[in-house]
Formats: sequence, structure tokens, C-alpha cells
Amino acid sequence: MGNKQTIFTDEQLDAYQDCTFFTRKEILRYVLRSVLQTVTPQLCNIKESESLNIITFAEDIQSKHFQGLHGRYHELAPHLVPMDYTNDPDCKLPLALIVNMPELKENPFRSRIVESFSEDGMGNLSFNEFVDMFSVLSEMAPRELKAIYAFKIYDYNVDNYLCKEDLEKTLNKLTKEELTPEEVELVCTKTIEEADLDGDSKLSYSDFENMITRAPDFLSTFHIRI
Amino acid sequence: MQISNIGFWESWRQSQSITRKRVWVQMGGALSSLLPWQHILHAIEGKFGVGVKAYFVFLRYLVYLNLLNCTLTSGFILGPTAFYGRSISSGESAIMRDSKHLFGGNDSVLDFFLGTGYLERSPVFIGFYTRGSLDLPCLNTPLLYLAGILTMILLSLIMVVRRTIVGYKHTWMLGKRYSANMSYKIFCGWDFTIQDPASATLKHSFIRNDLKLFLEEQNFSMREAQRTLGQRVRLYLLRVILNLIVVSLLGGAFCLIYFATITSQSMIGWNWLVRLVLQYLPPMSITFVNLILPHIFRKISSFEDYSFTTQVNATLVRSIFLKLASLGMYLFFVLTTTKRHQCMENRFGREMYKLCIFNFLATFCNAFLLNYPRKLVQEKFPTSFLAWVLGKQRFLIPFNVLDLVYSQTVSWVGVYYCPLLPLIGTVTLIATFYIQKFVVMRCCVAEQRMFRASSSSVLFHFMLLLGLLMAAVTLGYSFHLQNIEPDINMSSCGPFQNGKTVFNVTKVCVESLPSPAPATLYYLSSEAFALPLILAEIIILTSYVSRGRANQKAIERLKDMLVMSSSDKRFLVKQHATMLRCRSKNRTKVHSAAVVEDNWQDPPSTH
Repeated sequence: MGNKQTIFTDEQLDAYQDCTFFTRKEILRYVLRSVLQTVTPQLCNIKESESLNIITFAEDIQSKHFQGLHGRYHELAPHLVPMDYTNDPDCKLPLALIVNMPELKENPFRSRIVESFSEDGMGNLSFNEFVDMFSVLSEMAPRELKAIYAFKIYDYNVDNYLCKEDLEKTLNKLTKEELTPEEVELVCTKTIEEADLDGDSKLSYSDFENMITRAPDFLSTFHIRI
Repeated sequence: MQISNIGFWESWRQSQSITRKRVWVQMGGALSSLLPWQHILHAIEGKFGVGVKAYFVFLRYLVYLNLLNCTLTSGFILGPTAFYGRSISSGESAIMRDSKHLFGGNDSVLDFFLGTGYLERSPVFIGFYTRGSLDLPCLNTPLLYLAGILTMILLSLIMVVRRTIVGYKHTWMLGKRYSANMSYKIFCGWDFTIQDPASATLKHSFIRNDLKLFLEEQNFSMREAQRTLGQRVRLYLLRVILNLIVVSLLGGAFCLIYFATITSQSMIGWNWLVRLVLQYLPPMSITFVNLILPHIFRKISSFEDYSFTTQVNATLVRSIFLKLASLGMYLFFVLTTTKRHQCMENRFGREMYKLCIFNFLATFCNAFLLNYPRKLVQEKFPTSFLAWVLGKQRFLIPFNVLDLVYSQTVSWVGVYYCPLLPLIGTVTLIATFYIQKFVVMRCCVAEQRMFRASSSSVLFHFMLLLGLLMAAVTLGYSFHLQNIEPDINMSSCGPFQNGKTVFNVTKVCVESLPSPAPATLYYLSSEAFALPLILAEIIILTSYVSRGRANQKAIERLKDMLVMSSSDKRFLVKQHATMLRCRSKNRTKVHSAAVVEDNWQDPPSTH
């Protein structure tokens, strides 16, 4: 073993660690399967960074995830995504590719999830945004951050309020549109009644956060394992 | 992406807290996976929902309770008798007389079912335990026996009360205003970890059914509000008639049990099979009544026009009354029809033992002789008339929980007379778990109407509490009987035989304690202490209730303040905007006025 593989420099790893919720070890965790799949002839031109610690299989079996995530990102579009990220390449994957990942395929909110993590709001994710998405949805992320992103996900018209139309769309996605419009209306009215504290018949972020922090199973349901 | 440095110390602290959290989560996961049957419960939850899982969780809790009771029994009762032996005394002869009366003194396999013969002379029943060589005034086998039973009942009481209170707190104290059920259902309803299409479809249908239940309740409350006076009168009349029907059914059930008890007394001149059936006639009639009547109550409550949850709760209340009252009636009949100077304690113990065994046999036969053939008929001949009549099987949670509560009550009532009943209970509960798992997974389909388990789970634990109270009352009554007419009611077997009643033994122990203790104990058990105690409890209770009310009022006030502060904010923002507009309008007016003035004062100079 003893392959000194780098796809990222040390500074990039530090920056990723600070901005996401994976520890250094976790960042460098890699799934054996992904690494083996992603080893291509290009990696023969391996650049070593002097300050990067040697991550060997035997030494740190736990160092996985970052290479693993990159492996997954690469798998989605092997011809688009370069293996070598040391020069900060700029490539974005479209919504349609990401939404077909097995972790997201059955989720009724998958398009909204990807859109809320993309900078342009259209769902095109760069690798950084991809990592952000999975780190917020991991079990390590704190509750406040998850609440912020949950609010963004449920806010379909992106006006920083969860108004009745947003709730109706959420409900229809949840029940696959099997409720009649009157029933949908009734449920949305009841929800707004319960959670709206400042009386403007739509939910602002503080209303939402107030309600969601008291939900017993928010953390366990708002979580994707990758 | 912005790269910002947060410094080494901060980053180290963050990574440490993340590691700590991970360790906690892993420990919690490891502990919960150590709990027995965890993966089975997970599978059941995935397929049938939270309600059915709650039944199995309740079953597991009862297994723990029985195991605890078992350890207490072996510590307090079996241990001393094993170490210190027992003295063969007149109790044995009473037992001999009794068993001769039943079977002519021959032991056989039937004894296992009837609790006679060799079982009667074994540690299973109270008659086995006598005052052995451990004979100190305050540390003797009878006293340890009593202490074991009382500790068992007290511990069970504490555990059940604690669970009832926790459930009550979650369900009713939070109230409709503070619990945001609908919001949780919508925003936390979807489990993001689902990757399997089949589970996704199931989850969609669960969410939809949940919402439909809520909508149904809304519809019902609207309909209820719109009832005219005439409709209301008719409805109340109907309800009175139905309740009378329920009462008469209950009366009929009790008569049936009485006749069964009387018939089972007559034993002379039949062969062994008929005698076996006759001996089991009371348990059979009780089980029959408990099997049929709850379904009739369910049908009746569907005519009474209540909301779904109220219907379920009404059926539950009636069924539990039926079960507990039938058990109480049966005990009363046994008490009044037992002749003295037989070993009455053993008789009681035998009846409880038979009830326990028969309950388990009924569950077993129900599963394999009713549910499984029904499922086979559905599978093999789905379009036949029989299949249409029988319908698809659903796991009726309330009735199954009632069965569990009833068997646990029997176990508690009988533990004084049959100390190994918790052990029998544990074994039967574990077998019941696997039998019911078979029934649920193989024979039942998922219930479409989601049963709102939360409010009924408080009711289940409360029913368990009622059963425990009934056991305590029965025990107290039998001690009291021993005390009032010691010559007539003297027990002739067991640790408290031949005049050494419970009160005698405890009095001997209390008087042998060092000097201030007996006096204080006498004072504590007298009325002079009871009255101040009750007064103090009333005062403490009042203070808690008023504190709770004050907190509720404070919460309402704070909510109003929140609404007002946000409307204040909006008002101020509007004011601010208006002021800005005015100011800018004034400025332009002033500016244009100044320009006009300038123009007037300074005639435009020609450049």
C-alpha cells in the first residue's frame, strides 16, 4: 500500500473541515470501493504535497469520507468531473443527475433540496455545494443549521416566508396529491394556526424555528446517510 | 467558497464535541440494539406502523416486570426455604385431605393442568412454605414471604405509576394549544433516510391515513356542532338504551360465571376427562365471555355516534370493566363456596394458576386454530363466500392489549397464593410474543384507520394500575379476614397457619425491636397520624395545581405579547416609511420653493 494519493491539498482539506461538519479524519475517510473505482490512469501523475500526512489504508482506515464523496460526485458524471482537484476546477453537475442518486431518489422533496444548496437556485451543484448538502444532512450537523436549510427547502417561492401555497405544495408532495383540495386547505390552515406566532398567517423563520426545535423527531428524520 | 480561518483551538474544540456526540450516539445505539427483539420490532414498525409496535413494546415491558417479580420471589421466598428448610406440619395433612378429595390421591399428567397432586405439594403453591429453621422474631420465613410479596407489589406500583404519569404528561398536559401535531406531521413527517420504493409507498400511505384520521375528526366535530335539538334528544335516548343493553350483557356474563363455578364444584362419579372439563369450566366461561363481549361492545359503540377515538376508548372502558369485574366476581364466588379447614389458600392459588394456563392456551388456539386457517381461506379461495364473510384480518390493538393487562392482573392477584406465578407469566409472555409476531407478520394486513395510540396508551397503563389495585385490595381483604375471626378463618396450611396470622407475626417482630421503634410504629399506623398526613397531602397537591395554573396563564400572556410585539413592529415600520416619505416630500417642496425663490431673486443671468 502506501499510495500517496492526493486529490486535494492540505489547505483545501483544512478549509473543508472548517466549513463542513466532518472532522479531519472523517474528511479523509474513504470508502474502499469508491477509491478503487475512481483510481484511473490519471492518478499515476500523483502530486504529493509535502505537508499532507500519508493516509494509508492500514494506518487510518477511518479516513474516508472526502475521497468517498468525491468518488460519488465523480460517479454521477465521469466525463465531466475531473479527478484532480488541486487546481480548483469549476464544474457543476445539473439537477437531473443529482436527483437520481439512490439516497435522494425516493425523497419527495429532492428537487427542492438540491435547489436550496445550489448557488444559482437552479440546482446545479459544484463539488463544494455537493459536500455542503451532504454535510448539513449528516447526523453531525447542529439543529440550528438543519432548521435553516429545512426552511429553505419548504419555501417553494423563495420569499423567506412559508405561506399557504408553500404548505399546499409540501402537502401535495407528501401525500402524492391524494387529498382533495378542501382537505388540503383544512390541513394547511390548521398548520398555520398552530405555528404562526406573530399573526400574519404565514410562517416566518422564527415561527418555523420555534416549532421545529420542539419537534421530537426532527433530527432523526432530517438526515441522509451517505 | 470562502475560506476562513477559525483558529486551531476553536477547530479542536469543535472536533472534540463532534467526537463526543458520536460516541454518545453510538453508545445509545449499542444499548438499544442490546434490548431483546429490537430488530423484530423495527420490522414490525416498518410494516404495520407505530400502533402495533406499541403493543409489542408493552409486551416487552411486561416481560421485564415479571422478570423483576421473579427475582424478588426467588430472593425472598425460594431462597430462605431452600437454605433453611421447612418443617413438616399439619399443613401437609390438610393438603393430603384436599387432594384425596379431588383425585383419589394418584398423581398424573393432568396435575400439571389442574394444579393438584404433585404440584400441590411443590413450591408452586403457598402450602409448601412453612416456618422452617429460620425462626428469629424478626427474620423468619413467613415474614420474609410477606415482605417479598409486599415489595413486589410496591415496586410494580411504582413502575406502573411512573409510566402512567409520563404518558399522561405527554398526552394531556401539553394540551391542544401547545402541541403542534399537524406541523410536526407535515415538516417532520417524511423520513429522509428511506431509499426503498416499497417503504416509500408505505410511508406515503401512513402519512395520508394519519391526515385522513385528523380530517375525519374535524368533520365529526363540525357535524356534532350542527346537531339540532331533536337529533340530540334521539341520540341521547339511543345511548341510554345501548348502555342498558351493555349492563344487561354484563349481568348475564356474571350469572354464567356463577353457574360455571357452582357446576365445577360437583365432582362425584365422573371419569377423568369430564372432571378435567368441569374443573376448567369457570376459566373457560370467563375466557368465552371476555372473547365475545368486547366485540359486541365494539359494534354497539359504533351506533352511538362518537368520534373514532372516543369509540375506541368507550369500548376499552367497558371491556376492562368486564374483565376486572368478572375476575372479582369469580374470586368472590370461590371465597363463598369454599368450606373451611381445607387449604383455602391453595384453592385460590389453583384457580389463579388455572386461569393463567388457560389464557395462554386460548391465545395459542386463537392463533393457530382461528387466525391461520382464516388466512389460508383468504389465500386459497379469495372469491368464495366464506372469504367474503370472514373478511381480511386486522390486528386489533386494543383487545390484544386488554388481554395482556388481564393476564398480568391475574398474575398479581395470585402471586400471594402461588409464588411461582411470575415465572409462569414470564414464560407465557415470551411464548405469546412469538405467537403474536407470527399472527401479525403472516396473517394480518395493515390497518387502514390509524389508531391514535397516544391517548389510549395512557388508558392501558391506567388499566394496569387498576389491576394492581384490585390485587392489593384482594390481598388486604384476605389478611383482614384472617384477623377478624381467627378461630373460624384460621388457615391450615402455608407460612401463616395455625393461628400465627400475618398480624401476629408482624406484631412479634415489631415488639422485638429496640425501644423507641414499636411505639413510633404504632403511632404511625394509628388514626392520629393519618389525619395530618392527609391534610398535608391536600395542601401540597393544591400548591402544585395552583402553580400549574399560574404557569399556564403566564404562557398565554407571553403568547399575546409576542403577537402584539410583531404588530407593533409592523406599525412602527409603516410609521417610519410614512415619515421618510413626508420628509422627502418636504425636502423636494423646500428645494423647489428655494429654486423658485432663487429664480425670483436672481433673475436668470444671461451667460
